[in-house]
Amino acid sequence: MSRVLAIARTTLLEVVRERMVLTLALFGVGLVGASQVLSPLALGEGRKVVTDFGLAGSSMLATLLGVFLGSSLLHKELDRRTIYAVMAKPIRRSEFLLGKFAGLWATTAFLLVGMTAIVFLLLLVVYHQAPWVILGSMALSLAELLVIVAIVVLFSSFTTPALAAFFAIATVVAGHFAEDLHYFGLQGSALLSAVTGGVYWLLPHLDLFNARGLVVHGLAVDPARIGFASAYAGLYAAAALTAASAIFERREFR
Amino acid sequence: MKRTEDLTTQAGPRTGRAGAIREVAPLALLAMENLTKVYRDPMTLKPFTAVDGISLSLARGEIFGLLGPNGAGKTTTIKIVLGLARATSGVVLLEGRDPSDPAARRRLGYLPENPCFYDHLTPEEYLDLVGSLFGIRRDVRRRRAGELLERLGLGSHARKPLRKFSKGMTQRLGLAQALINQPNLLVLDEPMSGLDPIGRAEVKQLLRDERERGTTVLLSSHVLAETESICDRVGILSSGRLIDVGSVPGLLSTGVREWEIAAESLPESLSARFRSAGHRVERVGPRWVVRVTDGQALQEAIAAMTRETVFIHSVEPRRQTLEDHFMRALAAAAGPKP
Repeated sequence: MSRVLAIARTTLLEVVRERMVLTLALFGVGLVGASQVLSPLALGEGRKVVTDFGLAGSSMLATLLGVFLGSSLLHKELDRRTIYAVMAKPIRRSEFLLGKFAGLWATTAFLLVGMTAIVFLLLLVVYHQAPWVILGSMALSLAELLVIVAIVVLFSSFTTPALAAFFAIATVVAGHFAEDLHYFGLQGSALLSAVTGGVYWLLPHLDLFNARGLVVHGLAVDPARIGFASAYAGLYAAAALTAASAIFERREFR
Repeated sequence: MKRTEDLTTQAGPRTGRAGAIREVAPLALLAMENLTKVYRDPMTLKPFTAVDGISLSLARGEIFGLLGPNGAGKTTTIKIVLGLARATSGVVLLEGRDPSDPAARRRLGYLPENPCFYDHLTPEEYLDLVGSLFGIRRDVRRRRAGELLERLGLGSHARKPLRKFSKGMTQRLGLAQALINQPNLLVLDEPMSGLDPIGRAEVKQLLRDERERGTTVLLSSHVLAETESICDRVGILSSGRLIDVGSVPGLLSTGVREWEIAAESLPESLSARFRSAGHRVERVGPRWVVRVTDGQALQEAIAAMTRETVFIHSVEPRRQTLEDHFMRALAAAAGPKP
């Protein structure tokens, strides 16, 4: 476990020191600022606009950070050959991969928590309300990031950064429409239904993690939903990482 | 040549069938048997043999040099030893274990060729990372990191980001990270690369110190003169095959190229006789030097000089260097030119 944490810490430090987080955090602040500009146009619905815009922006930025950093996660190690000295130590490849995953998830989680905190403060200061309900949405987004980062790590274990990013974004987009795909399949032939049914179970059900519709109306997210979504995220991430480890285990360092 | 099953022989005495104690060979620190690695071109699937049936065994406390031209298979062999690449066939055992087993790498130190480390870290942080990968306690790894950075002349750069390091400083850090676990086996890929003459001398001393500690060193190098001065044994690789292996004195003892007889003066008649016998005769400063190429000719030349009461100043054998041997071994492996 200490080896996994050591790799995770190094991965986190890399992102923090390369100031990428700072750049994205500034972008996040800009996004929240933009929501403030837009809110007067919403005729008394400014609080909802800020909440919706802020939470969606935070989640999207954290996802993009995860995809773009994660897609080159292993390629950069192999390209710069930093992995050679590390893998000659008594560490399993699966531990290395898990450390990379944990470091990347921690990075995206810090960004998400930081941006959610900005939204929280904005609502508190401007609208004089402590919007505790957004914490439920944040918890779901953190779980969602587990799934997304695991998917990126899976793709980065066998393909180039550009393809890994493309596949990951495609999976994330498709994951938000998994339910629609399932219903579409049910309307067609038995073959189409079987195929879409298979894809439905394979895709991450990312709609499960979207509770912004509740939160903007000031409704709390059911803790049972958070528990179920977290368990699903944990299992899905574990499956993706197991597949990634199996692929990475067979990979040759030339 | 040992057979594959010999590689798994355990250290120490072993009880035989009748309960008697019989001697067995001590466990080699690193053993390779018939190691072969074939790569396939991803497009054409055409096979390329990078390592071709290497069998080698390294004992505790020896410095072994793996020599060979570019593309000879040195780095591939090292990668297989470290578990970074898998052998197509053959066996590698690190202290009796398969290199893919992380436990086999607990007492292994490795310096890659042209090393590259996480440049967002400082040397202190990098050594801390490496120490934690080895499972070394925090206080111990911090103490060792400090000592190693001092020993390798990086003490004053302990908190400088690695992106600001020169090639030589990175090489020194590479050695520090390879030594932090006090390894039994040190694998160094081109350890002298990027170092200035002082740095090279320091690294040679460091390797001698490690040998004194009982560490086995496997190093690959292009710098043959320095390899000759530090290695106990060398192996020469060519096109993936181990074409020669032996102790440095052993490889070079049979390699006396010629003898030089230095004389104070040499009568013209004797000089002409030597020349007609095919020996080289030349004046070097105040002395005459006669060069003969075999022992029989040496005896005859000395006898002739003695008869003529020529004062012989010195007789010195001129041995081949490791570089001479290396070039000859490669030429022999390549076969006669068409």
